[in-house]
Amino acid sequence: MSSELEHLDGGTAELIANADDREAEEAASRPDEPSLPPLEWLRANLFSSVLNTILTIVFGLAGVLAFQRLLNWAFSHEREWDAVRVNMRALFTFTYPSSQYGRIWITLGIALTLAGLSLGLSRMVGQGFSLKRISTWFMAWGGAVIAGILLVQPHAKRSANGEVLLDADFEPVRESFGTAMADRGWWWLIGVLLLVVGVTMWVGLGDLKRRTTFIGAIPFTLGVLAVLVSTLWWFHWGNYGEQGDIIEPGRTVKDSAKLPWTAMWVVLTAAYIVGRQIAVTDRAGSVRVLVNFSWLLTPFVTFWVILRDPAIDYAHVWSTDLPMAVAFIIGGGAVLFLLTKPGLGEVGRIISIGLFGVAIFNWVAAFFGIYPMLQKARISFLLLALIALAAHNFAGERKQRLRFVLAWAGVMAILHYLVTMINAPSTVDAPDEFVGGFLVTVYIAAFTMIFSFPLGILLALGRTSTLPIFRVLSTIYIETVRGVPFITILFFFSTFLNIFLPDGMEIEQLAAAGLGFALFSAAYLAENIRGGLQAVRRGQYEASDALGLTTVQRTGFIVLPQALRVSIPPLVGATISTFKETSLLAIIGIIDFLRVANSVVPGQTVFLGVRMEGLLFVCMIYWVGAYSMSKFSQRLERHLGVGEH
Amino acid sequence: MTDTQTSLHRAATEKPPFYRDATVVKWLVQITTLAVTLFAIAFLVREAGDSLQAKSIQTGFGFLEVDPAISLGEGIDTDPATGGRALWVGMVNTIRMAAAGIFLATILGTLIGIGRLSSNWLVAKLASGFIEYMRNIPLLVHIILFFVTIAVVFPDFGENVDPITGEVSQGPWNGVFHVSNKGFSVPRVHIDNGFYQWLIIVAIGSVLGRWVSKRRQALQDRTGQETYPVLSALGVIAVFAAVGWFIHPIFGFVGDAIFAPIRDLIDGTPQGPVQILLSVAAGVVAALWIRRFLAARRTPGGAAKLTDDDWFRVIFAGIAATIACVVILVLWPGLSSWLINSSRDFFDVLANKFGDGRGSVGDDPPFSVSMPDIEKRGNFANMGPSGLNLTQGFAAVFFGVVLYTAAFIAEIVRGGILAVPKGQTEAAEAIGLRRSTMLRRVILPQAFRVSLPPLGNQYLNLTKNTSLAIAVGYTDVVQVGQTIFNQTGRSLEVFIIWMLFYLACSLTISVVVNFFNVRLKIVER
Amino acid sequence: MSFSDATAAVSDELAARDDIIVCDGIDKWYGDFQALKGVSANIKEQEVVVVLGPSGSGKSTWIRCINRLEQHQSGRIIVDGVELTNDTRNIEKIRSEVGMVFQQFNLFPHLSVVDNISLAPIWVRKRPRAEAERQARELLERVGIPEQAEKFPGQLSGGQQQRVAIARALAMEPRIMLFDEPTSALDPEMIKEVLDVMKELALGGMTMMVVTHEMGFAREVADRIIFMESGEIVEAGTPEHFFTNPQEDRTKLFLSQIL
Repeated sequence: MSSELEHLDGGTAELIANADDREAEEAASRPDEPSLPPLEWLRANLFSSVLNTILTIVFGLAGVLAFQRLLNWAFSHEREWDAVRVNMRALFTFTYPSSQYGRIWITLGIALTLAGLSLGLSRMVGQGFSLKRISTWFMAWGGAVIAGILLVQPHAKRSANGEVLLDADFEPVRESFGTAMADRGWWWLIGVLLLVVGVTMWVGLGDLKRRTTFIGAIPFTLGVLAVLVSTLWWFHWGNYGEQGDIIEPGRTVKDSAKLPWTAMWVVLTAAYIVGRQIAVTDRAGSVRVLVNFSWLLTPFVTFWVILRDPAIDYAHVWSTDLPMAVAFIIGGGAVLFLLTKPGLGEVGRIISIGLFGVAIFNWVAAFFGIYPMLQKARISFLLLALIALAAHNFAGERKQRLRFVLAWAGVMAILHYLVTMINAPSTVDAPDEFVGGFLVTVYIAAFTMIFSFPLGILLALGRTSTLPIFRVLSTIYIETVRGVPFITILFFFSTFLNIFLPDGMEIEQLAAAGLGFALFSAAYLAENIRGGLQAVRRGQYEASDALGLTTVQRTGFIVLPQALRVSIPPLVGATISTFKETSLLAIIGIIDFLRVANSVVPGQTVFLGVRMEGLLFVCMIYWVGAYSMSKFSQRLERHLGVGEH
Repeated sequence: MTDTQTSLHRAATEKPPFYRDATVVKWLVQITTLAVTLFAIAFLVREAGDSLQAKSIQTGFGFLEVDPAISLGEGIDTDPATGGRALWVGMVNTIRMAAAGIFLATILGTLIGIGRLSSNWLVAKLASGFIEYMRNIPLLVHIILFFVTIAVVFPDFGENVDPITGEVSQGPWNGVFHVSNKGFSVPRVHIDNGFYQWLIIVAIGSVLGRWVSKRRQALQDRTGQETYPVLSALGVIAVFAAVGWFIHPIFGFVGDAIFAPIRDLIDGTPQGPVQILLSVAAGVVAALWIRRFLAARRTPGGAAKLTDDDWFRVIFAGIAATIACVVILVLWPGLSSWLINSSRDFFDVLANKFGDGRGSVGDDPPFSVSMPDIEKRGNFANMGPSGLNLTQGFAAVFFGVVLYTAAFIAEIVRGGILAVPKGQTEAAEAIGLRRSTMLRRVILPQAFRVSLPPLGNQYLNLTKNTSLAIAVGYTDVVQVGQTIFNQTGRSLEVFIIWMLFYLACSLTISVVVNFFNVRLKIVER
Repeated sequence: MSFSDATAAVSDELAARDDIIVCDGIDKWYGDFQALKGVSANIKEQEVVVVLGPSGSGKSTWIRCINRLEQHQSGRIIVDGVELTNDTRNIEKIRSEVGMVFQQFNLFPHLSVVDNISLAPIWVRKRPRAEAERQARELLERVGIPEQAEKFPGQLSGGQQQRVAIARALAMEPRIMLFDEPTSALDPEMIKEVLDVMKELALGGMTMMVVTHEMGFAREVADRIIFMESGEIVEAGTPEHFFTNPQEDRTKLFLSQIL
């Protein structure tokens, strides 16, 4: 788990992972230890020595005081939580047009379907949570709620028109303690309910049974989500208005998200169940590949679903974009099919070098302005030439060659699709900056990972290469990028990228920032992957050489698969970092959800200067996202550890 | 016999065509890549040049010499006279923040890391709660939260106004230590005119102190008697420092008699010979390096061939020297005069600082102290004679990076402690060490050794993370740089300065961490 | 000792065959250290040569030069009429003609046993996948572990792994097999199963160069034994000649230490 913000370098990640392993091992080494009775537990864990007693008292008091102050602050009459409720939609999607909102739900539905399938198909079956743990959670949450009820100071009294009554010192007049307790009926109900459920589970089950009965982590989480979603049906967490129009606090909600969210939950659960069903059949493997591939495709497809109206300039698409894509797919495919013919020998090499020369000349021509050519044609041609250079490594039987051509077709399709989507003008009737909020965070993070990954692999291979010029170039790039703060790179890209582009070519700020993210992240990924490459033993290289594999085949079939497996946990760590780093978008003026909370909401007339509430909400979202990913990474690591031989 | 001859004949060595020669192909590929990369860079730079020209934006580092017409929120100079000075103020602010942050984050992180492994359930849970809270939320969000919190939690600045005198005061200790929603204000110690002369005396004292400590250490080794070598050395230095406080003006001659002549000497040097000298030096350095390299590769038999890698290095050294010569002689003749000028300026500064020439000052003290001063309600008197102000922005960034890094350091410390084999704990328990002694004498020293390299990385991260100060307006180097390029349009130049500055910081930290790493490894042996 | 001496003491029947490997004065340095000092020797077709010598004597370096895992710096190596030079086509050709078995097995841990064996036939020999897999299973049968086909290397014992490694090398249908201490990393009870496979291979007429410390194997199977020390060939001869009547003092010393 490593970054500048904490793309943790290899050493750190390894150190922490080893520590986690050792703690897990030690915990696992005493599974049969019976639970201590409460009093003995207290003595053993809190009051075992004089020092421990003092520590417990000091930190306990400090903790209680902090808890009380936090609650008093959160439930104070000065808090405007409505600023968050009303702006819920702004925080997540900024000013995305209401009429088009269905697309967001469709996208989320696709993502959740894939998530459910992946979870269901996953081979990472942990033990889950023991009933003992679950009952302790219930008791802890119940206890915390009840403690909170008792600790929070009584509410301020309000006059008939809702204003807070003040005394002579301008302090609010508060209710009596008894009234306050009586007022908190719902909270009492929740607290006592949680506590009772916990205690019943604890007492009702025998000691052995509650320690040895497990509930799967995913079903448990689905259950918790079900409870959360069901609360939507009787409590308005969000207050949804038309775009840009702030609904005053207390007004009824126009259209609520309870139905869509319920549907989302159903989709997730159904997909999970389907996944579990498929997992036990023979086709599990191929379905898993299909799902993983769909994950890769999702950001591209949903990019269109969310950001583009289907009504793009179809005349242009039919006349230029589509023919070009088809030409490259068919023409390039034919060339590659020819070049992968076994026993082609030198002829193939000469053809591919010729292609490469033409591809390079295309760019030289652009430099000197000899002949015009669409930028995407240049890029596609270069890509074709590069793949053609490596084609002889993939020669073989007909089936194999066809698969190779198919992969080429896929790459071309995605590339041309993306370029077309970016270039074609949008017809969504919205202001320029209609993409914002959490949506931007997720998209930037996803695209960063997808694009920086191949680049990171190339850089890592370059840095570990035996060819000195490759090594020097990669090292200069990696060390320069890692040496400077991310924000300077982001400034550079968001402000100055356009200066470096040829005439007539422009790139939107968001895309420029995305490019900056990808290029920055690639340098850190390269270091993670380099760690994996160094873990591949020398003997693996020698054995591949002795079998006569070429360098490309050795790298693709032997070295990279082993190296990437080792680097998976740090790569998940890098994803977390990228997720957190997206917050820097707020500094360069893109309206991500930190900026919505920090600048947009405090600027609304109704909530002038209300900032803390929104920021805390942003904190919560980031925390939940990063924490669940890091838990996932820990599980993954343990799973991979088990797989080692 | 004949068989052998025929088979040798059959495969008479023929040179393969170039496209099948492994070495040739290897180098062709590399050179093509290099050429393509250089071409791409040239392409982008040309486009940039064109665009800048089209927008008639000037380029070059001239802005460093020009008044930037900006004033900075805090730093050693809030009204810098030149762009270079402004950036320097930003750099000092960054370094100040990073140095203090590294110090505090290490202590805090170590404590929390140990806390996480505490046998006390509450302490362990609080520590791990802190870590999970800090590291799963972006640093930028932490910084903004601290910024907002400070404005809310701390008292209004200068809220007490004496109704009769109109004098403004601010707790908790008026005139010395102020805490407010505008930040903290404390007394500031700063270098005064006599400092450099005083420094010479302290340096002499240090040399003498080292000698004394060696002598006394030798005495202790010989007689076994406790001689306090370190203490006595410190004592010697302290005596010199104390005496130097009063007699330092006698060293005023250093500036006038040593540095001033050097300055005059450089001033008179013509440019041509310097150019030639520099290019010859470049050539000689390369030649010496190649000779040493070849000598190291030669085997006793004398016949060892150089590998491609070795050839690359030799050729690379040659090319580098050639490029250096071309740059010195043709491309950038200004380099030599710039070198002459800046070394003259450097010695000029030294001559001034060490000399008697700074005004009347022969007997100014080395240091002086200035107290914070509230100018009027809502406003500190800024720099100059006033105290050290740590603004709201500084506090937000500082707490942000310190606590954030502390969470990571805590994890590293925990990792280090758990990396110590269990046998060490058991052995320590077996010889009856108490838990605290065990931690101090057995576990932590070994844990520290494992944790040092990742700790170094965290220090680098902390330094780079201070750049987020821009979000709350603390004037670090990035914030100042951004202000400057917004005004002058010198984007690339500012970016290069940022890069060099941060690379220098990274290098310094790596060197320091490596130094300790090597020392620890020696201890290990 | 010159290379003509090294080939001298071979039976007439062998001498009549063609040379398949010719080494002529190979030198190899690692920095200051000369690992091979003018090594010259010829290997006949279908000959089994065992290379003996103390550790660090250059035996492994020598056979690794023969399929260019290491590059020799002077002298000539000709394998099956193709000289080892910088010519990429020659290197490709020789690597697919010469199989190699390593001390540490070097199986690919992320591939199943069948995939390990069929990888090179598919991608280097360009065979159809189905055919390559069928051949892999046949080879597994030949080395005596057909039931392990779908397992991963990590699930096999050392002896089984080494037999898979032999099958992997055989799948390329090589004319020459090089063995670099194939039994040194094995537990004693597993050595025999690997040696049995190698014996069978030798009886089948494979040209083999074996670096090993197994004297029993050398005595029983080898057509010729070459003894090396500090980068030079000290003595060469038939097994009975070598074990019963060594000529050189260094050979005698080595034999007295090892037997």
